[in-house]
Amino acid sequence: MSWIRERELSFIERLTANILKAGPMPKHVAFIMDGNRRFAQKAHVQRQEGHSQGFEKLAETLRLCLNLGIHEVTVYAFSIENFKRSKEEVDGLMELARQKFSRLLTEHENLERHGVCIRVLGDLTLLPIDLQQLIAKAVVATKAHNKCFLNVCFAYTSRHEIANAVKEMAWGVEQGLIKPSDVSEVLLGECLYSSNSPNPDLLIRTSGEVRLSDFLLWQTSYSCLVFQSVLWPEYSFWNLCEAVLQYQLSYRSLQKAGDLHREGQALQQMEADRCCVAELLQHRGNGKPMDAQSRQKELLNYTASREERVHCFLNALQHKRDTAPFLPRRAAASV
Amino acid sequence: MFPRMRLHKYTWIKIIVKKLKYLQMDPKIPFQEIQQFLYAFHILKLKLQKGQVIIYQFIQQKRNNSRLMEGILKQQQELLGMDSSKYSVEFMKNGTDKQEHQVLSCQSVVKVLSPDDGRLSIVQAAQQLCRAVELKEKTSKDINVTVLDSLLRESKNIPDPDLVLKFGPVESTLGFLPWHIRLTEIISMPSHVDVSYDDLFGALQRYAMCDQRLGK
Repeated sequence: MSWIRERELSFIERLTANILKAGPMPKHVAFIMDGNRRFAQKAHVQRQEGHSQGFEKLAETLRLCLNLGIHEVTVYAFSIENFKRSKEEVDGLMELARQKFSRLLTEHENLERHGVCIRVLGDLTLLPIDLQQLIAKAVVATKAHNKCFLNVCFAYTSRHEIANAVKEMAWGVEQGLIKPSDVSEVLLGECLYSSNSPNPDLLIRTSGEVRLSDFLLWQTSYSCLVFQSVLWPEYSFWNLCEAVLQYQLSYRSLQKAGDLHREGQALQQMEADRCCVAELLQHRGNGKPMDAQSRQKELLNYTASREERVHCFLNALQHKRDTAPFLPRRAAASV
Repeated sequence: MFPRMRLHKYTWIKIIVKKLKYLQMDPKIPFQEIQQFLYAFHILKLKLQKGQVIIYQFIQQKRNNSRLMEGILKQQQELLGMDSSKYSVEFMKNGTDKQEHQVLSCQSVVKVLSPDDGRLSIVQAAQQLCRAVELKEKTSKDINVTVLDSLLRESKNIPDPDLVLKFGPVESTLGFLPWHIRLTEIISMPSHVDVSYDDLFGALQRYAMCDQRLGK
């Protein structure tokens, strides 16, 4: 079935949506879609059917988010830890993924109409090669769409993502593109798989579990966390509204916290730049102390050159990702 | 008297102290509020095995740290009397933190953290690795989860918390140790003011009922 269900809101639902929209709305929501297997047990069906219904619910929830003006959704579809499951279940999930990504390639028009851009985040090299290629094609096919974004975390854990970001920065140092002192919180954020998205405003986990399970640990530091006991395949519009309401109640505190954090980040960066300039001047130094104006000028020059370095590095990184090895040569050329 | 609880060897409990509250109020007040919590926790602790407490203060600027430290130590003496030697309080400083005392003993440790101990620690570890790469001591291909994890443990010896008790109405971790909380159960409690033994015990019971499947 389709990646995005046609789902118009009923009168009551539309009324509720309008009331909610009078307050602050999250722009990016992340879901841990937990509870497929428990749902299957409850409904006396096979696990595979539970996962399948879970996918249907994803398609419907994406539509509901669009109805509420939420244009970016990130979902936790498959963790690297899930490879520990039985071969049968893992194979079943891979097969489901094959079906869905193949289906995506056939419903191009529908996705174009809604402007859905699909990204897949994770260590895709852990997946079967044919699935990697399917995913690559699907991502390329929807790359130009920009009305709404669906980020699917597949073969993903947050620690892997963070370690990978550090690895990319180390690669940048190896290539002579950046210096170790250029490494900062902001730069690390730009090297994550999710660098094209803003941090989620709201993270929702279903099925009653109250942990993050290695999902977006870096990105959700200042997000609203909502844990709901409903099982994912039973998720409804009302559950979504409840979560959004929770977000609205925490909104002001979280904004303040986020603003403070950003201020702190900027101060830290300035401090780091100052230290680097001081070191540089010492090296260069001819014993004469510099006046404040020249020091300030040096600082501005240094900051500008650092930003230039970082900009070039990020371009090189993007290029490296766009020409990733699992993209068949023809697809890579068309990117 | 107490039902057996499935608790890990090191049960970490953490408080988030809402920043806004403390900036607006007399710095003395935090000590009194922490006092009640420590007292309730003290009673509970007698029934638990080895345990450690982290107090996480969401305060951006390093304000009144020494006063807070003094206050906590003073409260400890007053409340715990003879037992106060069983507990040690330390502030996590940003940067390397060489532990002198072993946390593996029967001592309980109260650690006070701030947002700098979260993402910033990861950034510092990243800088360290990048410097090693620059000096050709490592290559970028050597960097993975294990390497980063062991580097983070070296600088700040904090085991992954099993449990986070979050106080206050703000539904967020507010930057608390992002790397360490990947599998941590997060239980919300309305307020740390007048928190009772029953509240804490209830939260621990909820924790004991959690079923961690670890991906399986």
